[in-house]
Amino acid sequence: MTEVDTPLLEVREIGKQFPGVRALHGVNLTVQQAEVLAVIGENGAGKSTLMKILAGVQLPDGGQILIDGKPVTLDSVKASLDSGVALIHQELNLAENLQVGENIYLGREPNRYGFIDRKQINRDASLVLQQIGLEVAPTTPLSELSIGQRQMVEIAKAMSVGARVLIMDEPTSSLSSAEAERLFQVVNDLRERGVSIIYISHRLGEVQALADRVVVLRDGENAGVLDRDEISHDNMVRMMVGRDVSQFYSRETLPIGDVVLSVEGIRTPAWPEHELTFSIRSGEIVGISGLVGAGRTEMLRTLFGVDRPVSGRVVVEGKQVDLASPLAAIHAGIALVPEDRKLNGLVIDMSVRHNIGLAALSRNRLAGGFLNRAVERRDTTQMIRDLRIKTPNDAQITRFLSGGNQQKVVLGKWLSMMPKILLLDEPTRGIDVGAKQEIYQLMEQLARDGLAVLFVSSEMEEIMGMSDRTIVMHEGCITGELERSELSEEAIMQLATGKANEGATVIN
Amino acid sequence: MNAKSLGIFGLLVMLFVFMVLMTSDPWTDIFSSTFLQANNLENLLRRVSMYGLLGIGVAFVIITGGIDLSVGSIVCLAGCLLGIFLQVDYQPASVFDVRSADQEKKSVVIYGNAEDKYEVGDKLRMYRGRQPAVLTVLGLEPVQLADSDNQPVGVGTILDVQGLSRDEDSGQVAKAFEVIDFGLAQTDQPAWVKLVDVPFELTPRDRVSFFHPTLGLKDLVVSSATQEGGISRIEFVQSLGERFSKEWMAMPTERKQRMAIPLAIMSVLGIAGFLGLLHGLLVTRVHLQPFVVTLCGLLIYRGISRWLVDDNPVGFGIEYKETLSPLGSGKMSLLEWGDGAQTFGIPYPLFVFLCAAIVAAIFLNLTIWGRYLMALGSNEEAARYSGIRTGRVTILAYVICTVSAATGGILFALDSGSISPSSFGNFYELYAIAAAVLGGCSLRGGEGSIFGVIAGTAVMMLLNNLILLLKIPDRLEFTIIGLVILIGVTLDETVRRIAARRRAMKSGQN
Repeated sequence: MTEVDTPLLEVREIGKQFPGVRALHGVNLTVQQAEVLAVIGENGAGKSTLMKILAGVQLPDGGQILIDGKPVTLDSVKASLDSGVALIHQELNLAENLQVGENIYLGREPNRYGFIDRKQINRDASLVLQQIGLEVAPTTPLSELSIGQRQMVEIAKAMSVGARVLIMDEPTSSLSSAEAERLFQVVNDLRERGVSIIYISHRLGEVQALADRVVVLRDGENAGVLDRDEISHDNMVRMMVGRDVSQFYSRETLPIGDVVLSVEGIRTPAWPEHELTFSIRSGEIVGISGLVGAGRTEMLRTLFGVDRPVSGRVVVEGKQVDLASPLAAIHAGIALVPEDRKLNGLVIDMSVRHNIGLAALSRNRLAGGFLNRAVERRDTTQMIRDLRIKTPNDAQITRFLSGGNQQKVVLGKWLSMMPKILLLDEPTRGIDVGAKQEIYQLMEQLARDGLAVLFVSSEMEEIMGMSDRTIVMHEGCITGELERSELSEEAIMQLATGKANEGATVIN
Repeated sequence: MNAKSLGIFGLLVMLFVFMVLMTSDPWTDIFSSTFLQANNLENLLRRVSMYGLLGIGVAFVIITGGIDLSVGSIVCLAGCLLGIFLQVDYQPASVFDVRSADQEKKSVVIYGNAEDKYEVGDKLRMYRGRQPAVLTVLGLEPVQLADSDNQPVGVGTILDVQGLSRDEDSGQVAKAFEVIDFGLAQTDQPAWVKLVDVPFELTPRDRVSFFHPTLGLKDLVVSSATQEGGISRIEFVQSLGERFSKEWMAMPTERKQRMAIPLAIMSVLGIAGFLGLLHGLLVTRVHLQPFVVTLCGLLIYRGISRWLVDDNPVGFGIEYKETLSPLGSGKMSLLEWGDGAQTFGIPYPLFVFLCAAIVAAIFLNLTIWGRYLMALGSNEEAARYSGIRTGRVTILAYVICTVSAATGGILFALDSGSISPSSFGNFYELYAIAAAVLGGCSLRGGEGSIFGVIAGTAVMMLLNNLILLLKIPDRLEFTIIGLVILIGVTLDETVRRIAARRRAMKSGQN
């Protein structure tokens, strides 16, 4: 801390050109010692490229990187690590079949004549684990750890290399709020111990709570810097999208119709001890809130026929339906936009057209089981237009679309089926701000068209902003329903934590 | 046709040109090429067709992300079953199994009641034992047969006979008929005989065995027969021979084919389809790994095949020479030259293969099930979440695979005429998988085209031909094929990576 004026890490006029795209252009960034610097921006703003350059995964076309004021060449991951820069990946890079300690020292095991020195691994690993406050034995198999704990192991791994700058890319995207809370503590601890953190997140609430400074990128360029006292939700959003977004959630009250879906005492295989009962009307948007693991996804899976209900009745438009399979649910007019679009929502290596047409193939088929390509093409064209899917053409492989556009493809698949009930599981996860807003507008539009929309969200703002009514779940059971007028963060948290539980708060 | 198929097609063309040049002498005179000889090309087309059927079948399974290792054994099983179903027996009239024969007592004990079949004075032929003999019945006596523990085992008949030459405990006796009149073959008419009281009507392709106490035995094939007032007049394809006389006895035998040809083929395909269904059910319902299921299939079907036919070779002989066998070994002649010594024709298996390939390509590209197959191969979960019955589609792929393997097996068996169950079809699954992979199917699933598989098979067969014609030691065959596949797949993967990177950059992902 002798030379306070020399930043720990400085990025000067970094540029990176991909064929046809200028990913980064003259980007500047400084990281002081013991600072949490948040880097935010819409998808495609250049955050990931910048981080990959710092982690030594990609080389910049121009510009300079200085560490402690001295220029360095980060041409490999090892070079970056040697300079003290470590990247915690969005998708964790750990071996599930190994123990915690073995993971921390993977690739650089202390050894004696080629034999791994387990004692030393365990001794050193417990030290590092202790430092970051993760209370598991180094000999615990990684597979027994939760996602949050695994992330801690990643951090421990970075710390054990002696990293001075930790880059965290969307670290809370798969954490429960309690785990996220734990992570924030660790981030604060690390800062106090003099480690700098570059924190990338779409969750502006987290950024607001954690960051000392915020760097905003837009279209590969610096869009601005916010100091501690300037960090506010509105300021960040304005800088990110380059315009004023005062009415982010512009819900107007819509006329609500008859009951479309009524769930009567359903018990899901995951929580067979609780009965779930609720109903939803056409034109209504119902949010389902709760902590991660409260059984919300499981409920949607059951309503979509992925998991068979243990007991109970589901009535759609007055008729009881047997939700034995997704196909049965689809026939009943139910559609699900799943939480993980790459896993369940999309055949990611198929084209936009084939994805949008997939669910309707059977309905549109010609005699003899032949594909009706004309209808498929027409539906796809309509969906691309209606949902404003940004794709060069309908033959584009979905993998190459941005997250928001991929999500729209999943939506398009269902909307072409004209469902009566739309289930959405975390519809805006991993989507940039602009696309989020489009999804919100779509949800509203669909409700106006008479659909019943049921969505699960872990973002409090989303629930508060979008739902006509909110169902709150806690450990597999519905703890309450809140009308729009009764909606407040406190009320939701009360119900989400089962009222009796203390401690868990959501930063958002 | 996508870029990938184009690559393998390019390889095929290159290989073809290389073969023509390498086998021509001098290399500028392509008409001297041994590779371009009519029979070589025919042979090549035939092999491509038969192996191609296996490749197309296995491609369906590979597209689902599975694998079928049982193809070779299914080929063998199909061949053996076809042989069994089409087995031909010649059954004489009034035949009984021999229990024992005692030369001293001049008696033969047979299973079954022969009283209303045989009369005193009848001539019988004892055959299929160690020594054939002609017997004359002197008396019949029904008897209860019992085993060594005096447990009854059914009715029998004791025959008092004349003419027994030794003790026997095996063989059969059947009624023999006297030749009452005969004519040797003339230029304008075939040989014929007249028999009395033959208990069944003879039809063409039945046979008559003639035997003589000293001159021996001959089997003649019936060309036509008429019956009038208990006297049958039978004409033959072959001649009776100069030494024929009324001293010869006749034993007419009825040709019994176990199944009609279409029924036999449908049964083989049906059984194969059922096995595919089992594979599919085990994979989708019991959640076993395809590799394990079909590996067990490989072992089980090979064993069953050998057991079914007692490890003896199965042949179709001359029985189907003109009816079914040409489907495997025949050709449709197109060109003739050199006074008909040289001909070129399209082997019949090629027609079967082309039909199968066209149907498969239409199924894969133009029907909803083809699309389902591609989708679930690429992401089974997403397919299920889109309302696709992924289990059924996967099972269908396994059924398609075994049925086309069995189709291939039938053609292979007909082509070779005789198969030995311990080696027939060995390693064919690997040829099929290699052809599919070479043709652009990804073992991860969700990728593949019929055209690619055809080109892949053709490349494999060309390599095989290359080794033969260039006189490379065939010990190296597998090595060369292995190397070429390795190079092909490596190139493909490299090209794909470069293309993916370009594409990613183009779409501006960062």
